[in-house]
Amino acid sequence: MSPKLKITLYGLLCVLCVPFVFPTWWMVTSSFKPDSEIFAFPPALLPSSWDTSAYRQVFELQPFTTQYFNSLYIALLVTAGTMAVSAMAGYAFARIRFPGQNVLFVVVLIGLLIPSEVTIVPLFQMFHGLGLTDTHWPLILVPILGAPSVMATFIMRQFFISLPRELEEAARVDGLGRFGTFSKVALPLARPALGAVAIFTFLHSWNLYLEPIVFLSTPEKFTLPQALTQFVDAYGGPMWNIQLAAASLTALPILVVFVLAQRQFIEGLAHTGLKG
Amino acid sequence: MTLTRTRETTATHRAVVSPYWTFRRRDNLVGYLFIAPQLVGSVLFVLLPLGLVLWYSLHEWNVLAGTFQFTGGDNYTKLLNDPKLGEVLGGTAMFSVGLVVLNLSLALVLAILLNQRLRGTTFFRTLFFSPVVVSLVAWTIVWRFLLQADGGVNGLLGAVGVDGPNWLRGETTAMVSVVVVQVLKNVGLNMVLFLAALQGVPSQLHEAARVDGAGVWTRFVRITVPLISPTILLTSIITVVGSLQVFAQIAVLTQGGPGLSTTVLIYYLYQQAFQFHHFGYGATLSALLFAIVAALTFAQWRMRRKWVFHES
Amino acid sequence: MKPTRTLAALAMAALLTVTACGGGQTPAEQGPQPLRMTIWTSNEAHLKLFNEIAAEYKKTHPDVGAITFDSIPFESYTTTLTTQIAGGNAPDLAWVLENSAPDFVSSGALAPLKGELGKAQGYELADLTPAATKLWEQDGELYAYPFSTSPFGIFVNDDLVKKAGQKTPRELIEAGEWTWDNAVAMNAAVAKEGKAGLIVRDFDYKSWDNLASIWGGWGARAWSEDGKTCGFNSPEMLEAMTFLHKAIFVDKALPGPGTTVDFFAGDAAMTITQISRASLLDGAKFGWDLVPLPAGPKGDYAVIGQAGLGALKKSPNAAQAIDFLAFFTNPANSAKLAAYFPPPRASQLTTETLAKSNPLLKPEQLKEVVIDGIAKAVVKPSHIGQAELSQTVRAELDPLWKADADVKAVLDGVCAKIQPMIGA
Repeated sequence: MSPKLKITLYGLLCVLCVPFVFPTWWMVTSSFKPDSEIFAFPPALLPSSWDTSAYRQVFELQPFTTQYFNSLYIALLVTAGTMAVSAMAGYAFARIRFPGQNVLFVVVLIGLLIPSEVTIVPLFQMFHGLGLTDTHWPLILVPILGAPSVMATFIMRQFFISLPRELEEAARVDGLGRFGTFSKVALPLARPALGAVAIFTFLHSWNLYLEPIVFLSTPEKFTLPQALTQFVDAYGGPMWNIQLAAASLTALPILVVFVLAQRQFIEGLAHTGLKG
Repeated sequence: MTLTRTRETTATHRAVVSPYWTFRRRDNLVGYLFIAPQLVGSVLFVLLPLGLVLWYSLHEWNVLAGTFQFTGGDNYTKLLNDPKLGEVLGGTAMFSVGLVVLNLSLALVLAILLNQRLRGTTFFRTLFFSPVVVSLVAWTIVWRFLLQADGGVNGLLGAVGVDGPNWLRGETTAMVSVVVVQVLKNVGLNMVLFLAALQGVPSQLHEAARVDGAGVWTRFVRITVPLISPTILLTSIITVVGSLQVFAQIAVLTQGGPGLSTTVLIYYLYQQAFQFHHFGYGATLSALLFAIVAALTFAQWRMRRKWVFHES
Repeated sequence: MKPTRTLAALAMAALLTVTACGGGQTPAEQGPQPLRMTIWTSNEAHLKLFNEIAAEYKKTHPDVGAITFDSIPFESYTTTLTTQIAGGNAPDLAWVLENSAPDFVSSGALAPLKGELGKAQGYELADLTPAATKLWEQDGELYAYPFSTSPFGIFVNDDLVKKAGQKTPRELIEAGEWTWDNAVAMNAAVAKEGKAGLIVRDFDYKSWDNLASIWGGWGARAWSEDGKTCGFNSPEMLEAMTFLHKAIFVDKALPGPGTTVDFFAGDAAMTITQISRASLLDGAKFGWDLVPLPAGPKGDYAVIGQAGLGALKKSPNAAQAIDFLAFFTNPANSAKLAAYFPPPRASQLTTETLAKSNPLLKPEQLKEVVIDGIAKAVVKPSHIGQAELSQTVRAELDPLWKADADVKAVLDGVCAKIQPMIGA
């Protein structure tokens, strides 16, 4: 590759990445700015002086640690549950032949097509009927079993289809049953796809916004995206720097984990062998 | 999981005793058990609520007054005569087409750039992917600042001598803004999928074609595109379906304005049901949205026979 | 409704038993009944006061269970409340914003209050001013207690005004020259110096109902008193909006659309807002004042925003809820609430009472803006079906917020759209 082309490519990459990086940069640096500086025009790249009071207030105004824990444990539970449910269902749809398989697959796929805004009212009625509103159950059960996990099942099915059958057949000859083949042979091979499912699912749960607002009403039970909207003054006016500090606190750990594990993340995602 | 395991062993055990449990029958049972959680979940959390929504759409439901009356097809008649619906559907189409085209082409361009033999592509890959992990609400709130008349975007444009428009206040620029903000947030996912697909294209094919005198563009269209077509199909299905479910971004950035320009169907549905208290009519719009998404997905799935290249 | 819900619940229960997740508790049928009130503030000081009042109530009412205050984000307040009601989980008591007042009052969702409040000991129902209760009444019955009746006033950053070489609004008031023309000229002068002029807080070129604080001076109204005739195409409205459009795009006295300026951070000369925002000026680093709205061509006027507290008729504890409402809003507690929310009680609308709870404001400010204001005020526009009307008007007004807008055509367009929605 000629040096000229190289420079052009690097230049292109640098220009292209500005809109991807600048918002996050602005969010984090502005959270250290005093309120009056946040709206300065043109926006400053760095605060004139670093003010950490917003970060202190985040924890004073809301039970933020509890809310952080809520989001974290819900997201982890949902991720684990979804991985189990989708790996089994994906495997069965890809590998096991049983009557009605195609019809059932289509039935499951309907979940892929329905935005949560559409079914939120009936879901709320169902959970209220069970006395489960203002608990975390709807935020755990619906993602694991309902529409959000369908995408995971779809990814798993596509992956298992692309696995060579020979490996499993060898295992069966060795006397492993269906479940043994699944758990000892197919599942370990499916690690990249499971990784992708884990990332999708964790982020989906972590960012869930409409459902917590509808289902939860006690601040101690709130999740992070919902808590972000609570940093307002007595009259509903947003407290900008505190909101930005809280938003940074929700985004940064995930970003750090992502940067550290990005090779596994992206390559896991890439090698799901997603083929139509 | 434990439950399944015990069942599995009993099934195996029985197979020895009873000839009824043939391999086929056992396999069927395992299949059903494996899909059971997902299936039960789909029935309870997807089909049942969907059925209820369709049922509501046949009613006039005034939440505040607590009245719930059967009105048959009235809501559907209203749908056909809704003066705003045409504009809403037009906006939805524009939004979705813009989003899908921009998302897929940008994802492909980025993937091609990152697929070059260059140092530091991992670094750039991380940067392009990073918005995917930032919370949606935070991302959108930040962009609302940046897109103000005197916000960061215009500050940046001003630095290179361009007088930027008032992004969120013009009908066209508002639409462009919501599309671009949404693309930037999620294009990383498609980019990674494309990148993997590109890496799966055997370089020998390119070499051979080059020897035969094929140019860069010809090789791209004749070799690369067909080979990655399964990925293009998958990403386009996901992106089309996703584009019709974009809600929070619109709520934060434009609230459907100016005028009705960025009121996409899902936002209109939300307004009718939750803000205007027309739950019955909102349910009718839900049915419409569901029909559209289902039809589009079905069409794409059918089309794959025509243009998706199959290796196997 | 009932059968489908039971069916859904049964199906869910079945699933939960199967997967052994269990845990749906059945609500206790006897014993102390809890009360739940939805509110939109999550301010600590507010919540502390409410909980104190609740604790005091429980001392004399051991039959009441826990009293909880559910904070729902302001932006999604009515939406979430409606979803809860639709889902069968209506609160026992709810704050209602003035713009959804007609919907709540006319739908029959709220329980009538007059009887119980009239009977409550020492309540002095007659003390409530008619101007404050009007929005919450229907056919002579009261459906919510207007616990917050907050007039619009103008907060002024005197430092910025003086720096631009202008007389302060206070000086103009004394000279009898506090008019919209002068106010705009003053703000235009500040804007020329680099800071922003006048901000209509919360308007953001979307929430147009806040503009009532301006067009009131021209005697314009969004719709007629009976709510049946569109008022946007009236000559008064045309004059007011033409004035406003010129002030924004020619005089630059108001920051244009798509800009965020915070008055309370000291970046603007004036802001029109409800006086309850005064607490945001605690510790302000600039000299400020609170003045009434300037006179328009039709003379002095005032506008108020309101919030009501109602008991949901559907609640199984409605009687208890009303009883608590009567306690929550009795004269003693009303005086405490006055620290944050201007009360609807004539006896408490005195400079002495208000000064006690609003230490930041001077007596003459309270008299001019609050006491005189409430007496002559009109409430911000509201109508049955407000959310849909409001959205329609917003969409129709959008073309107005451009420099080359045809004001008359836009206003006629608004009426063309909303007259069919409100006309009987």
